[in-house]
Amino acid sequence: MADNGKKLDYRLVPSTCVYCGTGCGVLLEVTDGRVTGTLPQKDHPVSRGALCIKGWAAHEFVHSDKRLTRPMVRVDGKLVETDWDTALQTVAEGLSRAAKEHGPEAVGFFASARCTNEENYLLQKLARAAVRTNNVDHCARLCHASTVAGLAMSFGSGAMTNSIGELEDAEVILVVGSNTTEQHPIIGEKILAAARKGAKLIVIDPRSIHLSDFAQIYLRPRPGSDVAFINGLANVIVSEGLEDRDFIAARTEGFEEFRKAVAEYTPERVEELSGIPAADLAAAARLYAAAERASIVYCMGITQHTTGTDNVLALANLAMLTGNIGKPCAGVNPLRGQNNVQGACDMGGLPNVYPGYQRVNDEETAAKFEAAWGVEGLPRQPGLTVVEMTDLAAEGELRALFIMGENPMVSDPDINHVRQALQKLDFLAVADIMDNETLEYAHVVLPAASFAEKDGTFTNTERRVQRIRKAVEPVGEARADWEIVCGIAKKMGAAGFDFSSPEEIFEEIRKVTPSYAGMSYARLGTRGLQWPCPAEDHPGTPILHTESFPIGKGKFTALEFREPAETPDEEYPLVLTTGRLLFHYHTGTMTRRSPSLVREIDRAFVEVNPADAAELGIRDGERVKVSSRRGSVEVDAKVTERVGKGVIFMPFHFAEAAANLLTNPALDPVAKIPELKTCAARIEK
Amino acid sequence: MSDLKSLIKEKLNDGADAFLCLKEEEGTLLPALITDADSPDLELAAVGEARYPLGKILIDLLREYPDKRFAVLVRGCDERALIELSKLEQVDLDRLVMVGVACTEEEARACGCPRPYPSEVALGEKVEAAPGRETIAEVESLSDAERLRWWKEEFSRCIKCYGCRNICPMCFCKDCALENPHLVEPGVIPPEFPSFHVIRALDMAGRCIDCGLCEEACPADIPLRSLYRRMQEIMEEKLGYRAGESAEEKSPLSFLGSEQDIKKLERE
Repeated sequence: MADNGKKLDYRLVPSTCVYCGTGCGVLLEVTDGRVTGTLPQKDHPVSRGALCIKGWAAHEFVHSDKRLTRPMVRVDGKLVETDWDTALQTVAEGLSRAAKEHGPEAVGFFASARCTNEENYLLQKLARAAVRTNNVDHCARLCHASTVAGLAMSFGSGAMTNSIGELEDAEVILVVGSNTTEQHPIIGEKILAAARKGAKLIVIDPRSIHLSDFAQIYLRPRPGSDVAFINGLANVIVSEGLEDRDFIAARTEGFEEFRKAVAEYTPERVEELSGIPAADLAAAARLYAAAERASIVYCMGITQHTTGTDNVLALANLAMLTGNIGKPCAGVNPLRGQNNVQGACDMGGLPNVYPGYQRVNDEETAAKFEAAWGVEGLPRQPGLTVVEMTDLAAEGELRALFIMGENPMVSDPDINHVRQALQKLDFLAVADIMDNETLEYAHVVLPAASFAEKDGTFTNTERRVQRIRKAVEPVGEARADWEIVCGIAKKMGAAGFDFSSPEEIFEEIRKVTPSYAGMSYARLGTRGLQWPCPAEDHPGTPILHTESFPIGKGKFTALEFREPAETPDEEYPLVLTTGRLLFHYHTGTMTRRSPSLVREIDRAFVEVNPADAAELGIRDGERVKVSSRRGSVEVDAKVTERVGKGVIFMPFHFAEAAANLLTNPALDPVAKIPELKTCAARIEK
Repeated sequence: MSDLKSLIKEKLNDGADAFLCLKEEEGTLLPALITDADSPDLELAAVGEARYPLGKILIDLLREYPDKRFAVLVRGCDERALIELSKLEQVDLDRLVMVGVACTEEEARACGCPRPYPSEVALGEKVEAAPGRETIAEVESLSDAERLRWWKEEFSRCIKCYGCRNICPMCFCKDCALENPHLVEPGVIPPEFPSFHVIRALDMAGRCIDCGLCEEACPADIPLRSLYRRMQEIMEEKLGYRAGESAEEKSPLSFLGSEQDIKKLERE
């Protein structure tokens, strides 16, 4: 077996894991021009030489035969391969025509929490500077829009206040609506490390999750009762005089109104609303309030509700009430879902803000960006959100859509409605790395390079901006999304898209984004920097709000509990809640092409409480039909105590039994996030 | 004593096609394969403190490039791994040149290493260290039921990352028993106790060279090494065998060999 003098090619390339927002450090193994393995970066500041199963498998999808390798355009109803020039020209024409005939507001852009900061920056620049629309949004709308809105209202900044490593030294950790060991496994293990050092855990979740086994107090609320039980925790703290009066006086405003509002939420009333026993709620409140350093960790169990923004505001209230803001091992810590959902938001992949959360309707800001980009007439009106764009597409008002690295045909609520919307569009272009369900409705498909095939930066959940590095050439004719966006912009005749590398784009980003101003690729190195980092000699900011809030004082909000948009009734007597599994990521386009992950699980299921199963005569493993007002799917029943009576759970990874055919697109009025975490459903044999 | 860069040049001149070591780049330490004396990586080559599974990397390199010869920088643990891997027919020592580096006293103590130096030391000074037996002693003092409970609690934090297996220089099987759905239920965490961990511990018997990479890679800080070390002690007490010590003596648990050997064993 001679190698015929094959040239030795073996390299390890430092990068950042492409799955969740933890942002673990990986080394991609390259053998003979192919990515052949993943190793943990030993001295990484977050992951410190460990990874979860997805991190170890981060390379497995890269050379999958489901990768898109050639540009395609739809001819006579079929996607046929074409050259890049034709594909880019077709996209430019499709977007320009819609803008010309129906106005720029008839064109929309989906940015991507999977793509780099540089790519998201360019996409919103394309939308705003070339098409003159603020209709740019991305899947952050579906995960943490309520965090961005809520924490901005309370603190003036919608990001995780503290850092991941600090969790290990917290005294009390309140985990609510986060299945941390499955969704952010390396952060989950830091919580368990804290518990081993003596920290007390309070876990509040409708499902009894892995972390509940380690909790001092585990509370199981009815899905959607969050404002009630968080107000209830505050009620106990205030009525027992456990609040931090010095902090409240010095750093906050609005306490009186808040105090009056929570007075109504006695543990007894909260028990009626949420199902949490009054005594347990009081014990949790006392435990949280007594700690010097208490940290709140939350995720989509809090955010994906029609009361999502209120839920986030309620948690911010709780932290301010006990002075747990602006100091180590405390804070309010939303765990951002996707690898770069923080960055996609930071880069202005949102309809109301430019990069760095600078408002589009602020005249001074708009003028600043007009000067920076050398354009005039940037739109001052905030644009449409993801869900609104879908609605208006279905109504025929949004005519053209460009989707970069998203798969709304699996990820978005009420898929039947999404299908109608996409079918109705005059023009749909999709740039993606993988064959997926959304392509069926695309007029142009652009093959994109994966994280292993390009340079750039991702920003993790603790605001750490980290580099990814090109390890191998893109498969087939695939191109990096930043090249694709520049290509479209040039075909549209737009100036300001002459970039020859992501580093050049990053240099422009730091000029217009104050919180990134002090960063450069050289400074980011292999450890990254946490924003805000306003100057080149600034070390980055692990803890926010230590001296003051960006809005001066922290703002308490008086909140009233509202029921979810749908509650069980005779026809649909169960509550359906959805989520992710440790072994897969979102719509599965990457994880379901990774053998190590598929081997663990590759089939949808619905969790049913034994009492409900007995009532319905359902056995474990039996095929059942789950229905809501929007559709129905067939899946295997998993009879388990993990869910309470009256509640069922489905993972949303599996397109062939998509949980999102069932979910409710009802929106939070402020953040416009859909209520993915609760709707009414029924099960039949 | 020579320095690392001259050693790399020397080995590349003496017939090695490439030198596997670590390099320091952009503030981190990572494995590097240096193929010629003009490589920019030569200037970055470093002994460093971080450890990576170089033995495991070599299994793949020797297979991918069957005509090439490699030199490799080895600590005591790397040498033990390569020796045992050669007996398991995973690496060909004839195509390998080992350049030994002794661990510092601090490193040896942090690792609790029984032999923190390879047989020939080209870099650094030999120091001795005592293997850390505190956890083993603590666990051994418990009753069987208590000990089971103790391990169950430790393993309850496991999130089935397979990091212990993935980083292990001695784990190379294409079909892994840990992924056999008849032995371990797939798709659940923590993985089944004790099957998942017992399977791995048994596979380590006569094979574990006590490098400790598994513990370093474990996000849950499970004291895996104490379990595998105990397996090692039993192997030594009962069968007089220590993995990675001698290149000639095969593991008494090794079934790898020629078909004739296996048939002979069956006859006996």
